[in-house]
Amino acid sequence: MFLDVLFIGIMIGAIYTLVTIGYSMVYSILKLMNFAHGDVYIFGTFICYTLLGKYHINPFLAILVAAVMGGILASLVEIIAYRRLRSEQHRMISMITALGAAYVIQNCNELEWGNQVLDFPSILSAHTFHFFGMNIPLTQIIILSIAVGLIILFTVFLKYHPYGKAILCVSEDIPTASLMGIPINKTISMVYFIGGMLGVFGGILYSTSYNAVSLSMGFRGTIIAFTAAVIGGIGSLSGALVGGMFLGICENFIGVYVSTSYRDPITFLLLIIVLLVKPTGIMGAVEQSKV
Amino acid sequence: MENIGSNSILNSPKYKAVAYGMLFIVCLLLPKIITNMYYLGIINYIILYTILCMGLNLILGYAGLLSFGHAAFYGLGGYTTAILIKRYGFSFLPCPLLSGVVALLFGILLGLPTRKVRGDYFCLLTIAFGEIFRLVAQAWIGFTNGAMGIVGIPIPSILGWSIRTEADFYYLGLILLAFTYITISLLIHSRFGRAFIAIREDELAASVMGINTAIYKIIVFAIGCFYAGLAGSYLAVYQTTVTPSNFRLEESCLMIIMVIVGGMGSLLAPVAGGIVMTLATEYFRSISEYRMLIIGVIMVAVLLYRPQGIFGTSAFKD
Repeated sequence: MFLDVLFIGIMIGAIYTLVTIGYSMVYSILKLMNFAHGDVYIFGTFICYTLLGKYHINPFLAILVAAVMGGILASLVEIIAYRRLRSEQHRMISMITALGAAYVIQNCNELEWGNQVLDFPSILSAHTFHFFGMNIPLTQIIILSIAVGLIILFTVFLKYHPYGKAILCVSEDIPTASLMGIPINKTISMVYFIGGMLGVFGGILYSTSYNAVSLSMGFRGTIIAFTAAVIGGIGSLSGALVGGMFLGICENFIGVYVSTSYRDPITFLLLIIVLLVKPTGIMGAVEQSKV
Repeated sequence: MENIGSNSILNSPKYKAVAYGMLFIVCLLLPKIITNMYYLGIINYIILYTILCMGLNLILGYAGLLSFGHAAFYGLGGYTTAILIKRYGFSFLPCPLLSGVVALLFGILLGLPTRKVRGDYFCLLTIAFGEIFRLVAQAWIGFTNGAMGIVGIPIPSILGWSIRTEADFYYLGLILLAFTYITISLLIHSRFGRAFIAIREDELAASVMGINTAIYKIIVFAIGCFYAGLAGSYLAVYQTTVTPSNFRLEESCLMIIMVIVGGMGSLLAPVAGGIVMTLATEYFRSISEYRMLIIGVIMVAVLLYRPQGIFGTSAFKD
């Protein structure tokens, strides 16, 4: 029982990590709370739902199409709602446009797919493994390995690919990166694109594991991503991993051993405690404020 | 606002007295002029949101804190009144004040971290607080009656005046609004108010001048929350129900937009925001499935093209 809960917690944690990475990258570059993140990923998940349920497209193709569309939407939001405000001194402004963008996407999603919980088609087989006394469905193992695979892939991309290095440079210092000849606008759009894509992957995996997708998962996803990013330490990959895992495992244990209706309040309480005790997060470095 | 020359007729005390007097009479006679219950109902909601926005304006425009938890304080007020009246048999009279005080106390509690937690993190803190409030109200069935909410709050009466019709509620709202306006305007024009305007304009300079910025911010935040509690109390008796879904994060966002559309940091601007946005949401009710879409577009458009709001003067000084 304990190991089962732990395993599912790790799986949820891996999915949260995927969602968090995109969020955290965006935050580390622009210091912008991207409220639209969750709504973008739920948009992609809905697209995948429609492609699978209505048109019976090959699952891999459907997931890919959904992820690309999520990525495009994320960069569109950046171009329309955030880019013009980047030079704005007060960050509150872009935070509020972010929220406005989130509302627009959420409303569009609602118009198309409604606000009911929809049955997400199961892509994977329902085979169950037994070892060490645990009952683990094959689905969960596949989901976990896909999530971990994507995290590793993204890390490698960031460390070794020229575009990945460009992203790291921009997140370090925008003016300097621009002087070095890195196209800032393109790089930032790319970060949004990748962030949106990873988010959609996370959303699809999450929906697959619960066989359900609903509108309210969008906003919750934004909050989860930000919470995980803050708990782990914002802007770092290892932070996203630590935060996502921590949140996933905690949530699952609270849900099983305490009560599901107090799951979210306790999660938020954890967030508040982390903010009060160590605002920079578990893995985060202290950021000096300029006077 | 102060740009109009001092010799202008608009600024002469005599003109002002006449204008205020006429405004006062119009406000008093309004239910006699507008007898349509539906329009009066809309006006009551405008009053309600104006009180909320004036409180939020203190937090946003004067303390410079972005709070997404205003709906939670509004809800704290609503639940306080509902529970006091329904469960403990209180009369209505002390309820608005007590609701405000409960919101104030929680405001101090949530404001304390501003000393340590800054900017976006504080914003997240308020989101977390708002969600915790709503989820607890939903889960704690024994005390708050869960998602069903508290229903059937009896008709309030103050010193024999029982408040039942829309017009009665209009006068009650007007009293609360006048209280809010007068206290906030006294606050802003006091030594205290000048101190926190100084903090808004330049926190560092203010702290060098010997203003304890941390404490001032907490106090301004808590006072803003007090008015939310007041408005919540009004909502509870006006709607005769309070449910957790009245106090969703969406509601906080709507208030933030109202303040921004009106223009932050000036005393009367939130009134304009409240009127414009309440009328807009009412006008678009027939296409309510597009409501959030329209609100979202307004938010983005206002900030892209007129970040100082309709009547704002110096929004977003960093």
